[in-house]
Amino acid sequence: MQFSGLPFLFCFLPAMLLIYLLTPKKLKNAALFLGSILFYAWGEKRLVFLFLLAILLNYLFGLWIGKYRGTGKSRLFLWISVVGDLGMLFYFKYADFFIGSFNRLLQTSVSLLKVALPVGISFYTFQMISYLADVYRGSVKPQRNLITFGTYVALFPQLIAGPIVRYAQLEDQLEHRTHSLEKVADGARRFVVGLGKKVLIANAMGEVCTRFRATGDASVLFYWMYAVAFMLQIYFDFSGYSDMAIGLGKLFGFTFPENFDYPYISGSITEFWRRWHMSLGGWFRDYVYIPLGGNRKGQKRQLLNIFIVWALTGLWHGASWNFVLWGIFFAVLLIVEKLGFLQWLKKHSTAGHFYVLFFVLLGFVLFNAADFAQLGQDLAGMFGLLSIPSVSVEAVYVLRSYGILFVIGCVGATPLAKVLAGKICERRGLGWLEPAFLCGIFLLVTSYLVAGSFQPFLYFRF
Amino acid sequence: MQGKRKHICIVAPLAFLLFGLTVAGILKPDAAYSETERRVLRGFPEVSGERLDSGKFMSEFEEYAQDQFPGRELFLRVKANGMRYLFGQKDNDGLYKAGGYLSKLEYPMNEARLNRSMTVQQEIYDAYLENTDCHIYMALIPDKNFYLAPEYGYPTMDYGDYVETVKANTSYATYIDLFDSLNLDCYYRTDPHWRQECLLPAAEVLKRGMNLSGTLQYEVVELPNPFYGAYYSQVGLCVEPDTLRFLTNETLENCVVTSFDTGTAKEALLYDMEKAGGRDPYEMFLSGSDALLVVENPGAETDRELVIFRDSFGSSLAPLLVENYSKITLVDLRYMRSEALEEFVEFQNQDVLFLYSTLIY
Repeated sequence: MQFSGLPFLFCFLPAMLLIYLLTPKKLKNAALFLGSILFYAWGEKRLVFLFLLAILLNYLFGLWIGKYRGTGKSRLFLWISVVGDLGMLFYFKYADFFIGSFNRLLQTSVSLLKVALPVGISFYTFQMISYLADVYRGSVKPQRNLITFGTYVALFPQLIAGPIVRYAQLEDQLEHRTHSLEKVADGARRFVVGLGKKVLIANAMGEVCTRFRATGDASVLFYWMYAVAFMLQIYFDFSGYSDMAIGLGKLFGFTFPENFDYPYISGSITEFWRRWHMSLGGWFRDYVYIPLGGNRKGQKRQLLNIFIVWALTGLWHGASWNFVLWGIFFAVLLIVEKLGFLQWLKKHSTAGHFYVLFFVLLGFVLFNAADFAQLGQDLAGMFGLLSIPSVSVEAVYVLRSYGILFVIGCVGATPLAKVLAGKICERRGLGWLEPAFLCGIFLLVTSYLVAGSFQPFLYFRF
Repeated sequence: MQGKRKHICIVAPLAFLLFGLTVAGILKPDAAYSETERRVLRGFPEVSGERLDSGKFMSEFEEYAQDQFPGRELFLRVKANGMRYLFGQKDNDGLYKAGGYLSKLEYPMNEARLNRSMTVQQEIYDAYLENTDCHIYMALIPDKNFYLAPEYGYPTMDYGDYVETVKANTSYATYIDLFDSLNLDCYYRTDPHWRQECLLPAAEVLKRGMNLSGTLQYEVVELPNPFYGAYYSQVGLCVEPDTLRFLTNETLENCVVTSFDTGTAKEALLYDMEKAGGRDPYEMFLSGSDALLVVENPGAETDRELVIFRDSFGSSLAPLLVENYSKITLVDLRYMRSEALEEFVEFQNQDVLFLYSTLIY
């Protein structure tokens, strides 16, 4: 079930809110858990049982790791459970990718498994691993209540596409969260803004990308428009989803960590990755980079660690070599910055902003390419290496048709809009503007959904 | 606005919208058909273990939620107006409004459709027309984008290239150019079709190309109800409705129309007033979609016959050719197999006209 779908908005969400409101405090987690399982089952049917099994096993392993903490048994249980979780992720997400790659490399014909990828598996697997690792380290206590643990893993606002919430961040909230009108207002505001970002901006940018891929009238302008449109689409799609997740969390009393902080205003790639998908970056830092030695074992080892972490980050995004290459692309940029370029960028901040936008844009062209042939075609088209005109009729038409949305997207990707809106609404007598704006967005989004303008979230495929 | 009051001002209206629309959706009886969208609406999907397991129930429920949403038509208009006036988008799923007209982008050229149409036509020629004394003509009807789109900055297909492709692949037919005999005014504002009362110049060009001449005068009859065409219901924007008019005279009133749509002969009408008040008023011309129709002119001073391979545009033009023929057979290959044609038409020395809109062909 998608947040930006009518069944969620006008069936599941109101029912869930009502049930949650009427449920006694002691049973609120149970209500959330059951609702979350229903939410997951709507889209996954059979795989819901696998999901429940994963919750049960991780719950038991968490207990055993905690019980034998400080002994070899605890370490053994950690290894078994992490290998089990990663094995499940590998089987569903990567097995066919590696079989296909080996088949191509060795000219073999091993049959592909052709298993369906369970929705959200990359997110909930990482959440469960963080829990097990934290129990092993002793930074959190094992959760003894299966329903409470299940609620943490299955919590529907963040189940499908994050943010990757660590158990330590929710431990207290799972048992002692507070509910307030302020939280509900914050949550509603955040949810509606996220909904608008997804439905009104990301989907429109997605249409530009679709028109570009379908065109018979390619031009250099169109290639660049496509690149910018995809860069805006993926930001508004994913940050919109995160806003909705954080907003929904607040409606149910939770405070989730932030996932985006205006990444496109960064002055370096290092800063960009502190602002983009922050929960994933934090996870890799704490559970891969630091355990590998981080920056404590000399510069060469640090650079190797960066390379490994970013290759894995790329692979996390999808079972395809272009994602791996995308990760390595950023690893190279981060290594170059670590070797001294970062200091130069700090002194030349304007150049830094252009540098970030240019390389992030190239990175997303690589990210969205179906294969290397298409990647080559896209890059050649952007840099005028194909026999195509600079400008085409369709490109100009699409630019005119989506020009305002491009401007809204570009401005909305900076803090400018938020700061301006805040200042306007703070003015005496203009306080009504914010509720009116939110209601307007909500109604407009509803009209798009009623008209059937449905596009799945990009990050669902991860 | 501060503190609690501010929070209430945010939560209350949003909660009202969320729960209000939910409750309205539950209370609203399901509609079976949308008059404005001219389509059957999805009912509540059947629930069964198998359908739940396959996910069919879920996907159908999403369609059901869209189709039966309370105030659906109002929301469709909100979306169309939001796209156009708030975000400056020039089209809504390919439909656009310009100069008071509604139209649909025809861009780029649909080569696959064009090739398919030319192949079907070639098969007709090979099976029925080759080695006969039939006089074969070909005419293309430009869709209104040809006149509308360039003026308002909308992309259009290359009509010159389109026509040349057709001419090169239908060399067995004499091509008659209608492009210069029409203008934007010849089309309805809210519908893709052309207006019969404006077609006399185009009919004249056709007749000249087919070595015919006409002398008949027509009376213009105007229908009282406003005509909201097919685009009007899809686009969700405000446009002045059209007026439906038709041309008639004594010759046309005396014509006998027979439909073979179901395989057997059935009386039909040249202008069907019942359909003029129906879901698609344009269907009043020759009773709308019909696989095979025969129009007989008992007062004809000739025994010449015409066979028109056509789409819906031909329905309003065919009556204007009646005076020159004793019998006109209209064939719509979208609704019948070409092999079935031999049961109804024996091709000998008739005039044969392939008359298609660039929207269809």
